[in-house]
Amino acid sequence: MTALVVVEAVLLAVLTVLVAGLLRAYADVLRRLRALDGGGGDGEDATGGAAAGGSHPVPFRVAPGLPQPAADDAAEWPEAHDVQGIGPDGGLVLVRTVGTAHDTALLFLSSGCTGCATFWDELRRPLGLAPETRVVVVTRGPEHEDRAEIADLAPPGVDVVLSTEAWSDYGVPGSPYVVLVSGSAGKVRGEGTGQSWQQVSGLLTRADGRAPVTAGYGGAKPRADRERESDVDRELLAAGILPGDPSLYGAEP
Amino acid sequence: MAAVIMPRPVEINAHGIRALAPPPWEARLYRRDAAEVNRRGELAHPVLHLANFALPPGRGDFGTGAVEVMGADHVFVALLEYERSEAFRPLFAHRGVPRPRPSDFGANALQRRLPGQGGWQGFFTENGRPFCLYVVLGSLRDAHRLVPPVHGVLDGLRIGAS
Repeated sequence: MTALVVVEAVLLAVLTVLVAGLLRAYADVLRRLRALDGGGGDGEDATGGAAAGGSHPVPFRVAPGLPQPAADDAAEWPEAHDVQGIGPDGGLVLVRTVGTAHDTALLFLSSGCTGCATFWDELRRPLGLAPETRVVVVTRGPEHEDRAEIADLAPPGVDVVLSTEAWSDYGVPGSPYVVLVSGSAGKVRGEGTGQSWQQVSGLLTRADGRAPVTAGYGGAKPRADRERESDVDRELLAAGILPGDPSLYGAEP
Repeated sequence: MAAVIMPRPVEINAHGIRALAPPPWEARLYRRDAAEVNRRGELAHPVLHLANFALPPGRGDFGTGAVEVMGADHVFVALLEYERSEAFRPLFAHRGVPRPRPSDFGANALQRRLPGQGGWQGFFTENGRPFCLYVVLGSLRDAHRLVPPVHGVLDGLRIGAS
């Protein structure tokens, strides 16, 4: 009987120690959480810490060099800028992004960056954005880029502008980088980077809240061109010339 | 409520042509593709495009590829320079940038005839340089409403001697 009492006493003592340890750990967690939430740190009692500022959250910050997350309130979105520069053909280009009915996805690329090669290649295919969103590729100006090289890379059907000023206006940290501008608000509604256009367009589509489409803003042919191609195809078929017919390709030089 | 950013007029200036694009007008000022034009034995003269809508890439000099995407409120303006020797021809006898009237527009003047649109084409000489001015309205029916903004853009056009 005495042995049983001794064993129970020992078990009770062990349990008491365990409970005390758990309570202490719980209090430590609460203290650390309060410190993260802007409350008092070590050395403050619970009531004093809460009264000293536990209800004031610390502003969220990201590491230097990383873009700030988009604000929910459009009033806090950064100001957008129209894009002015030169085209791959050397002509002057003014692209409006502010005060337009459509949104604009500015895709900042370089001729030499490894991560941009995928984008240049993907832009030759249908872009998969909402038709209300226009895509404009922006490279640095001719003082940084070889215009002829950009002309070779420029996908058909996509606007390309060489503009160091635009890179500065939008604070572009590097390439590839995408900025989505709300034309009606004249503000930047989202920005970031990705490994491929497919990845970025998915993010833009979700940010946009619009259903994706199979053809991009600039990728679609004018209706007259499509009709002319259909007419030509019909005439060729009527003449017995099928796709792949050698007569379509002329004589070997 | 979010404050809306107001776009500003933008001036573009090259090849002795200066244009002021008021918002929301876009602008392109380029020389015709030198290699292509030289095959025809001509020089690469400048071309100016102005439009109050998003100018698509790959346009023709007279706006092919752009006029197809125009809405009823849209306006497209093209200014094309010709050979200096043409300046003495009667076609370019008008001096100074002309101002078309709403009644001058018609469907027959369109380079590419599209339903509802109206066009106008005028030739003139400024500072010894012969030009063609071509204007397309998205809606011929609304010419009285659409022509004044065209005049506003033409008022900001300056053509130098070279």
